[in-house]
Amino acid sequence: MSPLLAAAARRLGRRAHRPEPEGEADAALVAELRAAVGAERVRADAAARYLASRDASIYSEGTAGPLCFPVTTEQVSACVRIAADHGRAVVPRGAGTGLSGGAAPLGRPVVLSLTRMNELLSVDLDNGVAWVQPGMVNLELSRRLAPYGMHYAPDPSSQQACTIGGNVATNSGGPHCLAYGVTSAHVVALEVVLSDASVVTLGGLDAEPAGYDLRGAFVGSEGMCGIATGAAVRLTPNPAAVSTMLMAYNDVSSGAATVGAIIADGIVPAALEMLDRRCISAIEDFAKAGYPRDAAAVLLVEVDGPPGGVAASAERVARIATANGAVSVRVAADDAERARLWKGRKSAFGAVANILPDYYLHDTVVPRSRLVEVLEQVYEIADRYELTALNVFHAGDGNLHPILAFDARVPGTMERVHAAGREIIEASLAVGGALSGEHGIGVEKRDYMERMFSDADLDQQSRLRAAFDPHCRLNPGKVLPSAHSCADIGLLRAADGKIWG
Amino acid sequence: MNLGLDDDELNSCVACGLCLPHCPTFVITGRDTESPRGRIALMRAVQDEAAPVTHEVLRSMETCVQCLGCETACPSGVPFGHLMEGTRAALAAERRITPRWQRLGLRLLRHRRLLLAGSTLLALAGRLGLLPARRLGLPARLPLRRGRHRASGSDVWLFTGCVMDAWQRHTHLAVQRVLEAAGVGVTPTAGAAPCCGALHAHAGLEPDAVAMARQVMAALSADDRPVLVDSAGCGAAMKHYGRLLGTAEARDFAARVFDVHEWLADRLDVLLGSRPAAPLELTVAVQDPCHLRHAQRSHEAVPVVLGPFVRELVTLDDDGLCCGAGGAYSMLEPELAMAIRARKTAAVERSGASVVASANPGCSLHLAAAGLDVRHPLELVAQALDSGGDG
Repeated sequence: MSPLLAAAARRLGRRAHRPEPEGEADAALVAELRAAVGAERVRADAAARYLASRDASIYSEGTAGPLCFPVTTEQVSACVRIAADHGRAVVPRGAGTGLSGGAAPLGRPVVLSLTRMNELLSVDLDNGVAWVQPGMVNLELSRRLAPYGMHYAPDPSSQQACTIGGNVATNSGGPHCLAYGVTSAHVVALEVVLSDASVVTLGGLDAEPAGYDLRGAFVGSEGMCGIATGAAVRLTPNPAAVSTMLMAYNDVSSGAATVGAIIADGIVPAALEMLDRRCISAIEDFAKAGYPRDAAAVLLVEVDGPPGGVAASAERVARIATANGAVSVRVAADDAERARLWKGRKSAFGAVANILPDYYLHDTVVPRSRLVEVLEQVYEIADRYELTALNVFHAGDGNLHPILAFDARVPGTMERVHAAGREIIEASLAVGGALSGEHGIGVEKRDYMERMFSDADLDQQSRLRAAFDPHCRLNPGKVLPSAHSCADIGLLRAADGKIWG
Repeated sequence: MNLGLDDDELNSCVACGLCLPHCPTFVITGRDTESPRGRIALMRAVQDEAAPVTHEVLRSMETCVQCLGCETACPSGVPFGHLMEGTRAALAAERRITPRWQRLGLRLLRHRRLLLAGSTLLALAGRLGLLPARRLGLPARLPLRRGRHRASGSDVWLFTGCVMDAWQRHTHLAVQRVLEAAGVGVTPTAGAAPCCGALHAHAGLEPDAVAMARQVMAALSADDRPVLVDSAGCGAAMKHYGRLLGTAEARDFAARVFDVHEWLADRLDVLLGSRPAAPLELTVAVQDPCHLRHAQRSHEAVPVVLGPFVRELVTLDDDGLCCGAGGAYSMLEPELAMAIRARKTAAVERSGASVVASANPGCSLHLAAAGLDVRHPLELVAQALDSGGDG
């Protein structure tokens, strides 16, 4: 608005502060990166690096090196090449909402933030796909598709902030993935920068692309096989009718019994979510969604489709719920009420801070028939470690999200949190469950991989990764335990862990 | 450096990132240093981990518009505005932010006669072609003459403030006209309470903000009639006096402060009774000032009051994202402010509206500078009342 004023201000006031000289450590690397992507798109200062050293998880073991904000595929490729020339690893990053440390750097790598690559490139209604850049925010994509009567189906709870690139990296799920399938079912092709800086396209718009399904291998590879710079995502038509119901129960097991009965009846709801008492209370403090605070658990069920079918399914679901002990069944009367119910569910994790300042969230998957049993163990484990457990989960597919709430400032707390976390994972695996439903392995569950997979499994996974990234330059040290990883352990140790001065 | 921030407030952020899409500077830059979550992490690093207050840390704090969009979005209830004001106060006390020329400029706001005279001088210079108004970020045509304030009764105070009274007194007069049509006797505060101190609090000049709050309270506390405010920013600041001063007296005063739309929405009957036969033939987009939407959370009253007086109201599809005005922000951070505004003007264009209704002087000046036709909602109501609907 007023360059003149600003200039005058500079002359008159002499701003109280000036940029501090950057350290020499990465000077040559930074200079090359700046030449490649533009000076304003590379940050090497302490504040930027400090913030790029963590995501939404509790992990921050390494420190970010230079942080780049490329805006084109060519720039991403150039950054990867320059980092390789300097023997440095590369860690890609979206909105940093990940919960398992997938974007938290180990060692001192170059960090590529893809937030500026956030365009909707094309909408192809004939093929039912849209090409988007990786920094496109999940919910923003659905908003941009709304004029076409379409949306992007996978809807992680963090969908208002998380990016498609991050969704691809972790093969994200979301409440509506019960009926629609997870990210992998909605990404048909990818443009990827490989670790040698070459650019390839994986998958394609044909129903049966030729050759191995490399796209399938890439989705969920957590930034270790390449950096996605574009994705062709499937368009899902908005359902003609939607019915959202909230059922309250006096005990968790009746809720779980309802889940089993609904599925057994042959209904596939669009979403089937369960929240326990503590979670309800934390959410109500913020979202005022109208969840009954006196219920031991609530089920949030959504059915969609053609209007007649929706009405019939909703009625069947309500009948099954009542038969299985629901004390109340509330049907959202309009879009506003429906939005309120979902706002409650989707703000669950953040709302935990209304109880305690820190949380550690698990993501195990157990067979639906063992849900209640594992839940009871979760409460018992948390009690034993004097932690507060809250449960909110995708009941329909058995994906648990037990939240351990705590205050990290109390000495000794983190040890208890990690010990309890380990027991929860073991309880889930013991009933035939899986480590992660949708958040990814990252750093968090890396060292549990050996409990789930055999040496032969892990070696095979490592070979697949090496086929994409033979030198382990991309997001090294994640997912695969060190014994099965090609990553250079020395590279993962932060040579200079200091960020501030 | 000890920023003096409350430990529990600082630790209430779990870094989930749900604030990011609601932060105008993050949306524009895509950088964590320009995000609420990043700013809180840096506050923590400075206060708890002895991180030095570098240039980039200062820029992170200075680039915040203080729109509070993050507070509304935050499921953890982090009091971001309080943390940011505390941080700025600590940095300003050490003279790390808000240089002397800014402090001088802000002090002028307390001296009403000087301010009005200065404004008239600027207006004159403008008429003589001696003032590059656009380049200075000033309205294209400052008023040479202002209507006179007059009291029409003593049911309510109408707070008239500083810059708004100099540049947009016509808005105050229109608001008073509407209140009178609603059967309310109005006393404009005029010289009695020169400035609410909002800009001072934003700039981290807490002692100044406190002094101004005391002055306003002293002037308006002879009785307990409601204090109506037609500037969302001033209203937010005055509702905040309880927290700023921490006294029972200040809390009592803050409880008497209402945004004028909020107050009118509960008393629409009389106003609707004097409604003209036909509404104004206009399609109006309502722009929610952040200090109404996020700070006061009373933005929903605006369409309630304005709706009956215009042909069509349209909602903008930008999720209430800030316009970038931010008090003095548009002058201090012009590049970011203009990039943020471009998103708002695009949303207005998509809406098909010909007029934008904004209940905050800062927003309206900032948006008008981009070529939009911006009116205070009650100016439109006054126009409808006067014209009988053919305006």
